[in-house]
Amino acid sequence: MLFRRIYQFLIVYSIGLISLLLIKTALSLSDYVIPGFGLILETFQEVFDTYFLDAMNTMSVTVLGQCVSIALAFGVGIAGRRSSWMGSFIKVTAYNIQAYPIVALAPIIFILLGDGFISRLLIASMICYFPLLLSVLGIMATPVEDIEHFYIITGRMRWQLEVKIRAFENLSKLTTVISGSATLAMAGTIVAEFIAANAGIGYSIRVALYQSDLAKILIALFLIGIIISIYQGCLETLGEQIKTRWSVSKGGNPR
Amino acid sequence: MHLECKNLNFTYPENDVPVIQNLSFLIKNPGFNAVFGPSGVGKTSLAKLIAKMDTHFTGTIVTQDMDIILYSYNQERLPGWSGTGSHLDKVTPEGKHPLKDQLIDIFELKPILRSRFSKLSMGQQNRINLVRYLLQDFDLLIMDESLANVDEKLRETIILSIKDLFADKMFLYISHNLMEVSSFCREILVFGKPSGNKTCSIIQGRDYIKGYAPDKQSLDRTMLEIMNAV
Repeated sequence: MLFRRIYQFLIVYSIGLISLLLIKTALSLSDYVIPGFGLILETFQEVFDTYFLDAMNTMSVTVLGQCVSIALAFGVGIAGRRSSWMGSFIKVTAYNIQAYPIVALAPIIFILLGDGFISRLLIASMICYFPLLLSVLGIMATPVEDIEHFYIITGRMRWQLEVKIRAFENLSKLTTVISGSATLAMAGTIVAEFIAANAGIGYSIRVALYQSDLAKILIALFLIGIIISIYQGCLETLGEQIKTRWSVSKGGNPR
Repeated sequence: MHLECKNLNFTYPENDVPVIQNLSFLIKNPGFNAVFGPSGVGKTSLAKLIAKMDTHFTGTIVTQDMDIILYSYNQERLPGWSGTGSHLDKVTPEGKHPLKDQLIDIFELKPILRSRFSKLSMGQQNRINLVRYLLQDFDLLIMDESLANVDEKLRETIILSIKDLFADKMFLYISHNLMEVSSFCREILVFGKPSGNKTCSIIQGRDYIKGYAPDKQSLDRTMLEIMNAV
Protein backbone atom coordinates (compact mmCIF):
# COMPACT_ATOMS: atom_id res chain seq x y z
CA MET A 1 0.00 0.00 0.00
CA LEU A 2 2.82 2.35 0.97
CA PHE A 3 4.78 1.65 -2.20
CA ARG A 4 1.67 1.89 -4.35
CA ARG A 5 1.07 5.40 -3.00
CA ILE A 6 4.67 6.41 -3.77
CA TYR A 7 4.53 4.94 -7.28
CA GLN A 8 1.25 6.69 -7.96
CA PHE A 9 2.67 10.02 -6.85
CA LEU A 10 5.88 9.58 -8.85
CA ILE A 11 3.87 8.76 -11.98
CA VAL A 12 1.59 11.80 -11.54
CA TYR A 13 4.53 14.09 -10.73
CA SER A 14 6.52 12.83 -13.71
CA ILE A 15 3.57 13.36 -16.04
CA GLY A 16 3.17 16.90 -14.73
CA LEU A 17 6.88 17.68 -15.09
CA ILE A 18 7.09 16.18 -18.57
CA SER A 19 4.03 18.16 -19.63
CA LEU A 20 5.67 21.37 -18.40
CA LEU A 21 8.88 20.56 -20.26
CA LEU A 22 6.91 19.76 -23.41
CA ILE A 23 5.08 23.08 -23.17
CA LYS A 24 8.44 24.82 -22.66
CA THR A 25 9.88 23.12 -25.75
CA ALA A 26 6.76 23.58 -27.89
CA LEU A 27 6.42 27.28 -27.10
CA SER A 28 10.18 27.95 -26.84
CA LEU A 29 9.76 29.41 -23.39
CA SER A 30 12.74 30.75 -21.46
CA ASP A 31 14.10 29.21 -18.24
CA TYR A 32 12.65 32.18 -16.43
CA VAL A 33 9.10 31.01 -17.24
CA ILE A 34 9.62 27.25 -17.13
CA PRO A 35 13.05 26.07 -16.02
CA GLY A 36 14.81 23.32 -17.97
CA PHE A 37 15.45 19.88 -16.51
CA GLY A 38 19.11 20.73 -15.82
CA LEU A 39 18.16 23.86 -13.90
CA ILE A 40 15.59 21.93 -11.89
CA LEU A 41 18.23 19.36 -10.95
CA GLU A 42 20.68 22.11 -10.02
CA THR A 43 18.08 23.85 -7.85
CA PHE A 44 17.20 20.49 -6.31
CA GLN A 45 20.80 20.03 -5.11
CA GLU A 46 20.89 23.59 -3.91
CA VAL A 47 17.71 23.73 -1.85
CA PHE A 48 16.98 20.10 -1.02
CA ASP A 49 18.34 20.22 2.58
CA THR A 50 16.51 23.42 3.47
CA TYR A 51 13.29 22.40 1.77
CA PHE A 52 13.36 18.94 3.25
CA LEU A 53 13.56 20.41 6.76
CA ASP A 54 10.80 22.87 5.86
CA ALA A 55 8.63 20.03 4.57
CA MET A 56 9.27 18.04 7.74
CA ASN A 57 8.36 21.09 9.77
CA THR A 58 5.08 21.33 7.85
CA MET A 59 4.58 17.61 8.25
CA SER A 60 4.96 17.78 12.02
CA VAL A 61 2.27 20.47 12.19
CA THR A 62 0.13 18.36 9.83
CA VAL A 63 0.42 15.24 11.97
CA LEU A 64 -0.29 17.13 15.16
CA GLY A 65 -3.18 19.02 13.56
CA GLN A 66 -4.64 15.79 12.26
CA CYS A 67 -4.36 14.13 15.67
CA VAL A 68 -6.15 17.08 17.27
CA SER A 69 -8.92 16.97 14.65
CA ILE A 70 -9.31 13.17 14.91
CA ALA A 71 -9.67 13.45 18.68
CA LEU A 72 -12.14 16.30 18.33
CA ALA A 73 -14.12 14.60 15.56
CA PHE A 74 -14.45 11.40 17.57
CA GLY A 75 -15.38 13.30 20.72
CA VAL A 76 -18.06 15.34 19.00
CA GLY A 77 -19.11 12.43 16.75
CA ILE A 78 -19.67 10.18 19.74
CA ALA A 79 -21.54 12.91 21.61
CA GLY A 80 -23.66 13.70 18.55
CA ARG A 81 -24.53 10.13 17.56
CA ARG A 82 -27.73 10.03 19.58
CA SER A 83 -31.05 11.01 18.10
CA SER A 84 -31.61 13.21 21.15
CA TRP A 85 -32.00 16.98 21.07
CA MET A 86 -28.32 17.47 21.81
CA GLY A 87 -27.30 14.92 19.15
CA SER A 88 -29.42 16.63 16.52
CA PHE A 89 -28.11 20.04 17.56
CA ILE A 90 -24.50 18.88 17.22
CA LYS A 91 -25.19 17.33 13.82
CA VAL A 92 -26.99 20.36 12.42
CA THR A 93 -24.30 22.71 13.77
CA ALA A 94 -21.52 20.57 12.26
CA TYR A 95 -23.24 20.43 8.86
CA ASN A 96 -23.76 24.19 8.85
CA ILE A 97 -20.29 25.17 10.03
CA GLN A 98 -18.57 22.86 7.55
CA ALA A 99 -20.35 24.69 4.75
CA TYR A 100 -18.31 27.79 5.63
CA PRO A 101 -14.84 27.99 4.03
CA ILE A 102 -12.53 27.70 7.01
CA VAL A 103 -9.59 29.17 5.06
CA ALA A 104 -11.48 32.46 5.06
CA LEU A 105 -11.08 32.55 8.83
CA ALA A 106 -7.30 32.21 8.61
CA PRO A 107 -6.56 35.96 8.62
CA ILE A 108 -8.55 36.36 11.83
CA ILE A 109 -6.52 33.58 13.44
CA PHE A 110 -3.25 35.19 12.36
CA ILE A 111 -4.38 38.58 13.66
CA LEU A 112 -5.37 37.12 17.01
CA LEU A 113 -2.63 34.52 17.51
CA GLY A 114 0.27 35.81 15.41
CA ASP A 115 2.15 33.93 12.68
CA GLY A 116 3.67 31.19 14.82
CA PHE A 117 3.11 27.49 15.41
CA ILE A 118 -0.32 27.72 17.08
CA SER A 119 -1.93 29.52 14.13
CA ARG A 120 -0.68 26.89 11.68
CA LEU A 121 -1.81 24.09 13.95
CA LEU A 122 -5.24 25.62 14.43
CA ILE A 123 -5.85 26.16 10.71
CA ALA A 124 -4.61 22.65 9.83
CA SER A 125 -6.91 21.11 12.45
CA MET A 126 -9.91 23.17 11.42
CA ILE A 127 -9.56 22.37 7.73
CA CYS A 128 -9.29 18.65 8.31
CA TYR A 129 -11.73 18.54 11.25
CA PHE A 130 -15.09 19.12 9.58
CA PRO A 131 -14.95 16.55 6.79
CA LEU A 132 -13.66 14.10 9.38
CA LEU A 133 -16.44 15.03 11.78
CA LEU A 134 -19.15 14.49 9.17
CA SER A 135 -17.85 11.00 8.40
CA VAL A 136 -17.47 10.07 12.07
CA LEU A 137 -20.92 11.46 12.84
CA GLY A 138 -22.41 9.48 9.96
CA ILE A 139 -20.75 6.27 11.14
CA MET A 140 -21.49 6.74 14.82
CA ALA A 141 -25.12 7.74 14.25
CA THR A 142 -25.92 4.68 12.13
CA PRO A 143 -26.93 1.69 14.25
CA VAL A 144 -25.64 -1.77 13.38
CA GLU A 145 -28.99 -3.27 14.29
CA ASP A 146 -28.22 -6.94 13.73
CA ILE A 147 -25.36 -6.77 16.25
CA GLU A 148 -26.67 -4.17 18.66
CA HIS A 149 -30.13 -5.72 19.07
CA PHE A 150 -28.94 -8.42 21.50
CA TYR A 151 -27.20 -5.90 23.76
CA ILE A 152 -30.13 -3.50 23.71
CA ILE A 153 -32.86 -6.04 24.44
CA THR A 154 -30.86 -7.71 27.20
CA GLY A 155 -30.00 -4.34 28.75
CA ARG A 156 -26.27 -4.80 28.23
CA MET A 157 -25.69 -1.89 25.89
CA ARG A 158 -23.23 0.75 27.07
CA TRP A 159 -22.09 3.73 25.02
CA GLN A 160 -18.55 2.38 24.89
CA LEU A 161 -19.80 -0.90 23.42
CA GLU A 162 -22.01 0.94 20.94
CA VAL A 163 -19.05 3.03 19.75
CA LYS A 164 -16.86 -0.08 19.57
CA ILE A 165 -19.39 -1.97 17.45
CA ARG A 166 -19.93 0.91 15.05
CA ALA A 167 -16.21 1.67 14.77
CA PHE A 168 -15.35 -1.98 14.13
CA GLU A 169 -18.05 -2.43 11.53
CA ASN A 170 -16.85 0.69 9.69
CA LEU A 171 -13.13 0.29 10.20
CA SER A 172 -12.32 0.38 6.47
CA LYS A 173 -14.37 3.53 6.03
CA LEU A 174 -12.73 5.16 9.07
CA THR A 175 -9.24 4.24 7.88
CA THR A 176 -9.93 5.70 4.45
CA VAL A 177 -11.39 8.88 5.93
CA ILE A 178 -8.49 9.33 8.35
CA SER A 179 -5.85 8.73 5.70
CA GLY A 180 -7.74 11.03 3.32
CA SER A 181 -7.90 13.74 5.96
CA ALA A 182 -4.08 13.75 6.07
CA THR A 183 -4.13 15.55 2.71
CA LEU A 184 -6.56 18.09 4.09
CA ALA A 185 -4.41 18.66 7.17
CA MET A 186 -1.36 19.12 4.94
CA ALA A 187 -3.29 21.50 2.69
CA GLY A 188 -4.45 23.43 5.75
CA THR A 189 -0.92 23.77 7.09
CA ILE A 190 0.48 24.86 3.74
CA VAL A 191 -2.32 27.37 3.23
CA ALA A 192 -1.61 28.78 6.69
CA GLU A 193 2.10 29.02 5.91
CA PHE A 194 1.34 30.51 2.57
CA ILE A 195 -0.85 33.22 4.06
CA ALA A 196 1.22 34.47 6.94
CA ALA A 197 3.43 31.98 8.79
CA ASN A 198 7.16 32.34 9.10
CA ALA A 199 8.18 28.68 8.69
CA GLY A 200 7.37 25.53 6.78
CA ILE A 201 7.30 24.53 3.13
CA GLY A 202 4.31 26.82 2.42
CA TYR A 203 6.40 29.75 3.57
CA SER A 204 9.26 28.61 1.28
CA ILE A 205 6.82 28.40 -1.64
CA ARG A 206 5.66 31.93 -0.89
CA VAL A 207 9.27 33.15 -0.97
CA ALA A 208 9.89 31.22 -4.23
CA LEU A 209 6.73 32.76 -5.67
CA TYR A 210 7.98 36.27 -4.92
CA GLN A 211 11.24 35.31 -6.67
CA SER A 212 9.23 33.80 -9.58
CA ASP A 213 11.39 30.69 -9.20
CA LEU A 214 9.35 27.79 -10.62
CA ALA A 215 12.18 25.30 -10.09
CA LYS A 216 12.03 25.84 -6.35
CA ILE A 217 8.25 25.52 -6.39
CA LEU A 218 8.50 22.25 -8.33
CA ILE A 219 10.96 20.88 -5.80
CA ALA A 220 8.72 21.97 -2.93
CA LEU A 221 5.79 20.22 -4.62
CA PHE A 222 7.86 17.08 -5.07
CA LEU A 223 8.78 17.01 -1.38
CA ILE A 224 5.21 17.72 -0.29
CA GLY A 225 3.89 14.97 -2.54
CA ILE A 226 6.41 12.34 -1.56
CA ILE A 227 6.09 13.06 2.17
CA ILE A 228 2.28 13.04 2.15
CA SER A 229 2.28 9.83 0.08
CA ILE A 230 4.53 8.12 2.62
CA TYR A 231 2.39 9.41 5.47
CA GLN A 232 -0.88 8.29 3.87
CA GLY A 233 0.61 4.93 2.96
CA CYS A 234 1.72 4.46 6.58
CA LEU A 235 -1.76 5.40 7.84
CA GLU A 236 -3.42 2.93 5.47
CA THR A 237 -1.00 0.15 6.41
CA LEU A 238 -1.58 0.91 10.08
CA GLY A 239 -5.35 0.80 9.54
CA GLU A 240 -5.09 -2.56 7.78
CA GLN A 241 -2.94 -3.94 10.58
CA ILE A 242 -5.32 -2.73 13.27
CA LYS A 243 -8.23 -4.29 11.42
CA THR A 244 -6.45 -7.61 10.93
CA ARG A 245 -5.23 -7.81 14.51
CA TRP A 246 -8.53 -6.71 16.00
CA SER A 247 -10.51 -9.33 14.15
CA VAL A 248 -8.02 -12.19 13.78
CA SER A 249 -6.33 -12.31 17.16
CA LYS A 250 -9.53 -12.01 19.15
CA GLY A 251 -11.58 -14.05 16.75
CA GLY A 252 -9.06 -16.83 16.40
CA ASN A 253 -8.41 -17.22 20.05
CA PRO A 254 -11.38 -17.64 22.42
CA ARG A 255 -9.50 -16.20 25.40
CA MET B 1 -48.22 -16.09 33.42
CA HIS B 2 -50.26 -15.00 30.43
CA LEU B 3 -49.93 -13.07 27.22
CA GLU B 4 -53.00 -11.29 26.00
CA CYS B 5 -53.64 -8.91 23.11
CA LYS B 6 -56.88 -6.97 22.91
CA ASN B 7 -57.96 -5.16 19.75
CA LEU B 8 -54.39 -4.61 18.66
CA ASN B 9 -53.86 -2.35 15.66
CA PHE B 10 -50.53 -1.41 14.19
CA THR B 11 -49.54 0.52 11.08
CA TYR B 12 -45.97 1.33 10.04
CA PRO B 13 -45.46 5.12 9.90
CA GLU B 14 -44.57 5.05 6.18
CA ASN B 15 -47.58 2.85 5.33
CA ASP B 16 -51.29 3.51 5.11
CA VAL B 17 -52.43 -0.10 5.35
CA PRO B 18 -52.39 -1.57 8.88
CA VAL B 19 -50.18 -4.63 9.35
CA ILE B 20 -52.15 -5.77 12.36
CA GLN B 21 -55.84 -5.08 12.60
CA ASN B 22 -58.09 -5.80 15.58
CA LEU B 23 -55.95 -8.67 16.80
CA SER B 24 -57.07 -10.33 20.02
CA PHE B 25 -55.78 -13.53 21.57
CA LEU B 26 -54.82 -15.04 24.89
CA ILE B 27 -52.02 -17.50 25.57
CA LYS B 28 -51.88 -18.77 29.14
CA ASN B 29 -49.19 -20.51 31.17
CA PRO B 30 -45.58 -21.32 30.31
CA GLY B 31 -44.98 -23.41 27.23
CA PHE B 32 -43.66 -23.56 23.71
CA ASN B 33 -46.10 -21.73 21.45
CA ALA B 34 -45.95 -20.67 17.84
CA VAL B 35 -46.94 -17.87 15.54
CA PHE B 36 -47.66 -19.20 12.08
CA GLY B 37 -48.77 -17.59 8.85
CA PRO B 38 -47.71 -16.49 5.39
CA SER B 39 -45.06 -13.82 4.89
CA GLY B 40 -46.17 -10.25 5.41
CA VAL B 41 -49.10 -10.91 7.74
CA GLY B 42 -47.48 -9.18 10.70
CA LYS B 43 -45.81 -11.98 12.69
CA THR B 44 -42.56 -10.08 13.20
CA SER B 45 -44.42 -6.83 13.80
CA LEU B 46 -46.49 -8.51 16.51
CA ALA B 47 -43.32 -9.96 18.06
CA LYS B 48 -41.72 -6.52 18.17
CA LEU B 49 -44.80 -5.01 19.77
CA ILE B 50 -44.86 -7.71 22.44
CA ALA B 51 -41.14 -7.15 23.07
CA LYS B 52 -41.89 -3.42 23.49
CA MET B 53 -39.57 -2.53 20.63
CA ASP B 54 -42.30 -0.39 19.14
CA THR B 55 -45.00 1.36 21.11
CA HIS B 56 -46.91 3.06 18.30
CA PHE B 57 -49.96 0.82 18.41
CA THR B 58 -53.50 1.00 19.63
CA GLY B 59 -55.15 -1.65 21.76
CA THR B 60 -53.70 -3.49 24.71
CA ILE B 61 -50.92 -5.99 25.24
CA VAL B 62 -51.02 -7.63 28.67
CA THR B 63 -47.91 -9.54 29.72
CA GLN B 64 -48.84 -10.76 33.15
CA ASP B 65 -46.00 -12.19 35.30
CA MET B 66 -43.58 -11.63 32.44
CA ASP B 67 -41.05 -8.99 33.37
CA ILE B 68 -38.34 -9.88 30.89
CA ILE B 69 -39.32 -10.36 27.27
CA LEU B 70 -36.58 -11.09 24.76
CA TYR B 71 -36.89 -11.07 20.99
CA SER B 72 -34.35 -12.94 18.86
CA TYR B 73 -34.29 -13.21 15.09
CA ASN B 74 -32.39 -15.19 12.55
CA GLN B 75 -30.19 -12.54 10.97
CA GLU B 76 -28.46 -11.33 14.06
CA ARG B 77 -24.69 -11.19 14.15
CA LEU B 78 -22.08 -11.40 16.88
CA PRO B 79 -19.43 -8.66 17.06
CA GLY B 80 -16.65 -9.39 14.58
CA TRP B 81 -13.78 -8.83 17.01
CA SER B 82 -14.76 -11.74 19.20
CA GLY B 83 -14.63 -15.50 18.70
CA THR B 84 -17.96 -17.27 19.21
CA GLY B 85 -16.80 -19.13 22.32
CA SER B 86 -15.31 -16.02 23.82
CA HIS B 87 -18.52 -14.11 23.13
CA LEU B 88 -20.65 -16.79 24.79
CA ASP B 89 -18.38 -16.66 27.85
CA LYS B 90 -18.78 -12.92 28.06
CA VAL B 91 -22.56 -12.86 27.77
CA THR B 92 -23.22 -15.78 30.11
CA PRO B 93 -24.53 -14.45 33.42
CA GLU B 94 -22.94 -15.56 36.68
CA GLY B 95 -23.95 -19.07 37.65
CA LYS B 96 -25.17 -20.08 34.21
CA HIS B 97 -21.95 -21.60 32.91
CA PRO B 98 -23.11 -25.21 33.49
CA LEU B 99 -26.24 -24.39 31.45
CA LYS B 100 -24.02 -22.88 28.77
CA ASP B 101 -21.98 -26.08 28.53
CA GLN B 102 -25.17 -28.13 28.36
CA LEU B 103 -26.61 -25.97 25.59
CA ILE B 104 -23.33 -26.09 23.67
CA ASP B 105 -23.59 -29.88 23.70
CA ILE B 106 -27.26 -29.95 22.69
CA PHE B 107 -26.78 -27.38 19.93
CA GLU B 108 -23.62 -29.19 18.73
CA LEU B 109 -21.51 -26.06 18.92
CA LYS B 110 -18.28 -27.37 20.41
CA PRO B 111 -16.38 -27.64 17.09
CA ILE B 112 -17.10 -24.05 16.16
CA LEU B 113 -16.38 -22.27 19.43
CA ARG B 114 -12.97 -21.09 18.24
CA SER B 115 -14.31 -19.82 14.92
CA ARG B 116 -15.24 -16.32 13.97
CA PHE B 117 -18.95 -15.76 13.56
CA SER B 118 -18.62 -14.56 9.97
CA LYS B 119 -16.96 -17.84 8.99
CA LEU B 120 -19.90 -19.97 10.17
CA SER B 121 -22.77 -21.28 8.09
CA MET B 122 -26.18 -19.65 8.56
CA GLY B 123 -27.44 -22.60 10.57
CA GLN B 124 -24.43 -22.44 12.89
CA GLN B 125 -24.83 -18.69 13.25
CA ASN B 126 -28.48 -19.11 14.21
CA ARG B 127 -27.67 -21.78 16.76
CA ILE B 128 -24.99 -19.65 18.44
CA ASN B 129 -27.33 -16.70 18.47
CA LEU B 130 -30.17 -18.66 20.06
CA VAL B 131 -27.91 -20.12 22.74
CA ARG B 132 -26.86 -16.69 23.96
CA TYR B 133 -30.51 -15.70 24.35
CA LEU B 134 -31.35 -18.89 26.24
CA LEU B 135 -28.55 -18.06 28.67
CA GLN B 136 -30.15 -14.77 29.65
CA ASP B 137 -32.80 -14.26 32.27
CA PHE B 138 -36.19 -14.14 30.58
CA ASP B 139 -39.86 -14.94 31.07
CA LEU B 140 -40.88 -14.86 27.42
CA LEU B 141 -38.51 -15.53 24.54
CA ILE B 142 -39.71 -14.78 21.04
CA MET B 143 -37.80 -16.83 18.50
CA ASP B 144 -38.34 -15.27 15.08
CA GLU B 145 -37.22 -18.01 12.70
CA SER B 146 -34.33 -18.51 15.09
CA LEU B 147 -33.72 -22.05 13.85
CA ALA B 148 -33.80 -21.25 10.15
CA ASN B 149 -31.17 -23.15 8.14
CA VAL B 150 -30.66 -25.69 10.94
CA ASP B 151 -31.13 -29.25 9.73
CA GLU B 152 -34.39 -30.91 10.66
CA LYS B 153 -33.05 -33.58 12.98
CA LEU B 154 -31.03 -31.14 15.05
CA ARG B 155 -33.90 -28.66 15.08
CA GLU B 156 -36.14 -31.29 16.65
CA THR B 157 -33.50 -32.11 19.27
CA ILE B 158 -33.08 -28.43 20.06
CA ILE B 159 -36.79 -27.72 20.39
CA LEU B 160 -37.41 -30.74 22.59
CA SER B 161 -34.45 -29.80 24.80
CA ILE B 162 -35.62 -26.22 25.12
CA LYS B 163 -39.04 -27.48 26.21
CA ASP B 164 -37.39 -29.75 28.72
CA LEU B 165 -34.89 -27.27 30.13
CA PHE B 166 -37.11 -24.19 30.17
CA ALA B 167 -40.45 -25.69 31.16
CA ASP B 168 -41.31 -22.67 33.32
CA LYS B 169 -40.79 -20.12 30.54
CA MET B 170 -43.03 -19.01 27.73
CA PHE B 171 -41.84 -19.18 24.12
CA LEU B 172 -43.29 -17.75 20.95
CA TYR B 173 -41.74 -19.50 18.00
CA ILE B 174 -42.23 -17.83 14.63
CA SER B 175 -41.79 -20.41 11.91
CA HIS B 176 -42.98 -21.34 8.44
CA ASN B 177 -42.53 -25.03 9.09
CA LEU B 178 -46.03 -26.47 9.40
CA MET B 179 -44.96 -29.91 10.56
CA GLU B 180 -42.70 -28.48 13.23
CA VAL B 181 -45.18 -26.08 14.77
CA SER B 182 -47.94 -28.69 14.66
CA SER B 183 -45.77 -31.27 16.40
CA PHE B 184 -43.95 -29.35 19.08
CA CYS B 185 -46.01 -26.30 19.93
CA ARG B 186 -48.74 -26.10 22.53
CA GLU B 187 -50.76 -23.23 21.12
CA ILE B 188 -50.39 -21.95 17.59
CA LEU B 189 -51.45 -18.45 16.75
CA VAL B 190 -52.34 -18.66 13.07
CA PHE B 191 -52.54 -15.54 10.94
CA GLY B 192 -54.77 -15.65 7.88
CA LYS B 193 -53.66 -14.46 4.45
CA PRO B 194 -53.72 -10.66 4.22
CA SER B 195 -55.87 -10.84 1.08
CA GLY B 196 -58.40 -13.27 2.58
CA ASN B 197 -61.15 -12.54 5.09
CA LYS B 198 -59.76 -14.86 7.76
CA THR B 199 -58.31 -13.14 10.78
CA CYS B 200 -56.37 -14.82 13.49
CA SER B 201 -57.09 -18.01 15.38
CA ILE B 202 -55.49 -20.17 18.02
CA ILE B 203 -55.08 -23.87 17.30
CA GLN B 204 -53.90 -26.49 19.75
CA GLY B 205 -50.67 -28.16 18.61
CA ARG B 206 -49.56 -31.69 19.56
CA ASP B 207 -47.00 -30.30 22.06
CA TYR B 208 -44.75 -33.36 21.83
CA ILE B 209 -42.06 -33.73 24.47
CA LYS B 210 -38.87 -35.80 24.66
CA GLY B 211 -39.49 -39.49 24.00
CA TYR B 212 -42.80 -38.84 22.22
CA ALA B 213 -44.59 -41.41 20.10
CA PRO B 214 -45.95 -39.63 17.03
CA ASP B 215 -49.64 -40.00 16.38
CA LYS B 216 -49.89 -39.50 12.64
CA GLN B 217 -53.66 -39.09 12.51
CA SER B 218 -53.92 -36.36 15.11
CA LEU B 219 -50.85 -34.61 13.69
CA ASP B 220 -52.46 -34.60 10.23
CA ARG B 221 -55.64 -33.23 11.77
CA THR B 222 -53.72 -30.39 13.45
CA MET B 223 -51.89 -29.55 10.24
CA LEU B 224 -55.15 -29.52 8.32
CA GLU B 225 -56.72 -27.22 10.92
CA ILE B 226 -53.80 -24.84 10.56
CA MET B 227 -53.95 -24.89 6.78
CA ASN B 228 -57.67 -24.13 6.91
CA ALA B 229 -57.05 -21.24 9.25
CA VAL B 230 -54.46 -19.62 7.00
